Amino acid sequence: MNENTNTNDDRTAAETAEEAELRTDGGEASETSRSSSELRTDGGEPSDERGPSSELRTDGGAITPADDDSPSFRERKERTDGLSRLTYEYFERSRREDQVLRDDSDYVERDVLGFPAWPHEMIRNLSITSFFVGVILFVSATMPPPLEAPANPTSTPAVILPDWYLYWSFGILKTQALNLELAVLGGQTIATDRTFAVLLHGPIIVMLFLVPFLNKGSARRPVEQPFWSAVGVFGVILSFTLSLLAIKNLMAARIPIWTSHMQLWLSFVLPFIGATIAYAVLKSMREGYMYDLNRRYYRLRPPR
Amino acid sequence: MSLERTEEFDRGDWLEDKELSRVERGYLLTLMWLDKRLRLVDYLELLEDAYYKTNLQMPKSHTEQYNLDNKFWYWYPLYSLGSLSIIAYVLLAISGALLGFYYSPSATSAAGADATIAYNQIVFIQTDLNFGFMLRSIHRWAAQFMVAAVFLHMIRVYFTGAYKEPRELNWILGVVLILLTLLFGYSGYVLPWNQLAFWAAQIGLEMALSVPLIGEWAAQLLFGGFSPGAPTLMRMYILHVFVLPFVVTSLIAIHVGIVWMQGIAEPH
Repeated sequence: MNENTNTNDDRTAAETAEEAELRTDGGEASETSRSSSELRTDGGEPSDERGPSSELRTDGGAITPADDDSPSFRERKERTDGLSRLTYEYFERSRREDQVLRDDSDYVERDVLGFPAWPHEMIRNLSITSFFVGVILFVSATMPPPLEAPANPTSTPAVILPDWYLYWSFGILKTQALNLELAVLGGQTIATDRTFAVLLHGPIIVMLFLVPFLNKGSARRPVEQPFWSAVGVFGVILSFTLSLLAIKNLMAARIPIWTSHMQLWLSFVLPFIGATIAYAVLKSMREGYMYDLNRRYYRLRPPR
Repeated sequence: MSLERTEEFDRGDWLEDKELSRVERGYLLTLMWLDKRLRLVDYLELLEDAYYKTNLQMPKSHTEQYNLDNKFWYWYPLYSLGSLSIIAYVLLAISGALLGFYYSPSATSAAGADATIAYNQIVFIQTDLNFGFMLRSIHRWAAQFMVAAVFLHMIRVYFTGAYKEPRELNWILGVVLILLTLLFGYSGYVLPWNQLAFWAAQIGLEMALSVPLIGEWAAQLLFGGFSPGAPTLMRMYILHVFVLPFVVTSLIAIHVGIVWMQGIAEPH
């Protein structure tokens, strides 16, 4: 870190000197002139051709005003105060830091640029796209949606279900048994069953939003983070069991010994079982994985 | 001093030194003439910038550096789920626009009929309209595929840790998008105004009413009343064909744009 700051300071000094030099001859923004000083001058001409003291014209013939005291882009920036000034300084700084990083980096450059977009990438993407569209067309030709009975507010149908992707939400609506009668409230529930079930959506969705802020670090593979993978397995299984909860009437009708109490119990126990198994499996895989990683690491860089 | 305008910079000598061919000379003179009037140099600079950006030599990606290509291709289907959902979305937009020509979001009954106009239009699309049955089928199935692809996409992102450090915002955007996709599906489910649609609207309405404090307001806003009826169908229709398409399309654009900026989280 110390080294970096030092180089930064050196750099700053060097750059300021360079900029000062540039400003005396061209009077332009230093960032652009570094990369394309041949192209970008205020007269649309290479700056060395103009020669010293560049015969100031007073008849206004030049397209842009000659070098007078009109402020350059950079100077104008520096004069502004407050937040914009701060922003500008931050960008200057981060650009400098980027450059330092780039100089220090030992990136391996490609020897080939990569697959060309045409035809390789295009053919691959077109084949994936047309396959997928073909599957959709095939399925919709073979399994068209049925024409249901028209809406009738006076008769409630025996089975009311949303599309399958909302089953989880519909399943949550059937968790009244979780709305416990609390002794603290004198045998009352916190809210009515309906309100409780609707509010139960909240924590689930909030958990989804919080995931990246709870699980940090550079681990990416499931083996590297058994706990969070187990949490994921818990979530996936829970979404399935909640979906099954939505059709518990149908299941109870089909399966003889099935009771809705048993199902409610299972739908929260199964995720825990699944998560435990996933955790155990990943934890035991992790040893082998770390061993492999270490072996490869030491083969590449033997310890001194 | 003469009235004749003098050139600011004498390029004559420079042109002589170059020993250009007739074509080159003509080209250069034209370029100079145009540049003086149109400031072409500025645009050339932009072009040059774009050229260097597109032909930038990228550093070796993770997969290339560690020779993971075989694994990448093995897992590739999981990594194309995001684009598959976009393809399904495009298919939905096309078939939905075609369905919109024939559908009418009216929950009133035509004179002498017991079914509503909305339902009758669905019957018309499915029985009388050429290709209509297939059209509705495509729209419905593409919706199923899109939701499935979006769910699987989220699971893939979770288990590969692709939501981590630089990509938190895109994960949040993705969660918002999945919720909006579900809302899209729900509002579309209501539109045929058949038994299931009506009672799904009833349940949605009751859920909205169950929310404390803002429940009644939310029910009024989304369903246009306290029991499903003509206003409910109209609101769901506007949500489905006007509000959500704009919102979801622009959010998808931002979502993909951020992926473009940050790069795909490499498979490990």
